[in-house]
Amino acid sequence: MLRGVDLDLPPRTLIRVEGANGTGKSTLLRLLAGIDSPSEGRITGRRPRTAYVPERFSAALPFTAAGYLVHLGRIHGLRSSEATDRARSWLARLGAAGHARTPLPELSKGTSQKVAVAQALLAEPELLILDEAWTGLDTAARDELERAVAERVAAGATVVFVDHDPRRLAGSVDAVFRIEGTGLLAAPATRAAGTGTRVRIEAAGPPGAALPAGLPGTPEHTPAADGGVRLTVAATHSDALLRALLTAHPPWHIRRLAAVPGLAESPGDDGPPHRTPTPEAP
Amino acid sequence: MTALLRYRADLLVRSQRWLAPVLLYAAFVGIGVQAGQPVLDSLGYAAAGLLPVTAWLVQLCVDQEPPAARTVTAAVVGSPRVHLASLLTGLGCAGLLGVAATLVVLLISRPTGHDTTVRVALLPAGIAGLLAAGCCALLGAAVGALCTRPLLLRRGWSVSATVLAALLAVVTSGSPANTAVTGLVTGARTGVVHLPVLPFVVAAALAAAAAALTCRLASLRAE
Repeated sequence: MLRGVDLDLPPRTLIRVEGANGTGKSTLLRLLAGIDSPSEGRITGRRPRTAYVPERFSAALPFTAAGYLVHLGRIHGLRSSEATDRARSWLARLGAAGHARTPLPELSKGTSQKVAVAQALLAEPELLILDEAWTGLDTAARDELERAVAERVAAGATVVFVDHDPRRLAGSVDAVFRIEGTGLLAAPATRAAGTGTRVRIEAAGPPGAALPAGLPGTPEHTPAADGGVRLTVAATHSDALLRALLTAHPPWHIRRLAAVPGLAESPGDDGPPHRTPTPEAP
Repeated sequence: MTALLRYRADLLVRSQRWLAPVLLYAAFVGIGVQAGQPVLDSLGYAAAGLLPVTAWLVQLCVDQEPPAARTVTAAVVGSPRVHLASLLTGLGCAGLLGVAATLVVLLISRPTGHDTTVRVALLPAGIAGLLAAGCCALLGAAVGALCTRPLLLRRGWSVSATVLAALLAVVTSGSPANTAVTGLVTGARTGVVHLPVLPFVVAAALAAAAAALTCRLASLRAE
């Protein structure tokens, strides 16, 4: 049971909810997703286009994976052809393309979870609620889901998640809330921890142009040689950041791209030893 | 809502759980309705049998999604709409069944009253039969909706309450279903077709009230 919870969900925000088992994390997420209504108090604002990924989705429904996704896509408001295309591409992104025609009851737990993730992402929701959505996914699909979350946030959505792994999206979380007793407390976001791989991007804008505002992952930026800017961002956000730079008006030019190890993994060294070769940007 | 109804209907068709109530109804009509019987009698019988079958179908539709899948759909459109779509799918299936039974009865029955010299016109008889079937389906849907999730969560209670309520809805004098069926059966004796318009309106109002209540509760009561 939760009482006196006051939570604001601004756009373009990644929110983590923490709490011990049985404290009501799932209850809170279900309220936010609009599945349940609060018995007291209210949720204000226009209902955003919402998608929800439950923990351990094993649906004994008489559909194939693709058939279910197309139905869900249509319920999300997509046309049938659009829903079919997106179902196919999301299953492929999550590494489950081979299971598109498998009946849902025959899917493994992990593949069922991929279907649950795909139904949420194919709708490009404004509010995405993930209740331990990573549980059961293989490593590749976990990384893909992290990237997809970063993309949704970069596209202006609000993403709220619960995960037992404290390092999940650690470099990108904008706000952390902790359930204590029956209330919700704001906890400090540990964005600065810098764990995990980071990516350094050297980009150059048109002469005199300032860096576009609201870049995904709020990268650290320092001036680089010959008028460029060096941006460092959590690897999860690198794709979204590149997309934002390349599609800015006017577009930015990418010069160099390099992975740098996380600060916590290489404390106090000058010249990171694990530096990967830097491919030249086109 | 169209996409949601399409999803629920596809779910019902593919799950094959509709087979049991549909076969039961077919057996009920097959045993009770013989070729050459007075048309109004048979229409009344077919309509009365539709009430418990509708309650069963509606409950099948309400319960056919596992909880995880239900939360996924509820997040998209809200729990009340998911619940309403389930009720409408069950009612729609029962409606098709009622129309089919009415047509069969009209085709094979004798267009007279008990007294073979009293003729009964098929068109008004058909309209009266459809109204009575609609009346029973709507009341059955109300019974089905009130006797399951979110009001009754325990399966045992749900089944007992449904059977009892469906029986009472058919036999209690004054209930819209009873009034409509009695009207048809009396008509078979006198040869006069009563159109059960008022019972149909009352049944529709009761079904709407039951739907409104249960859809509202659907988002308040988490399991």
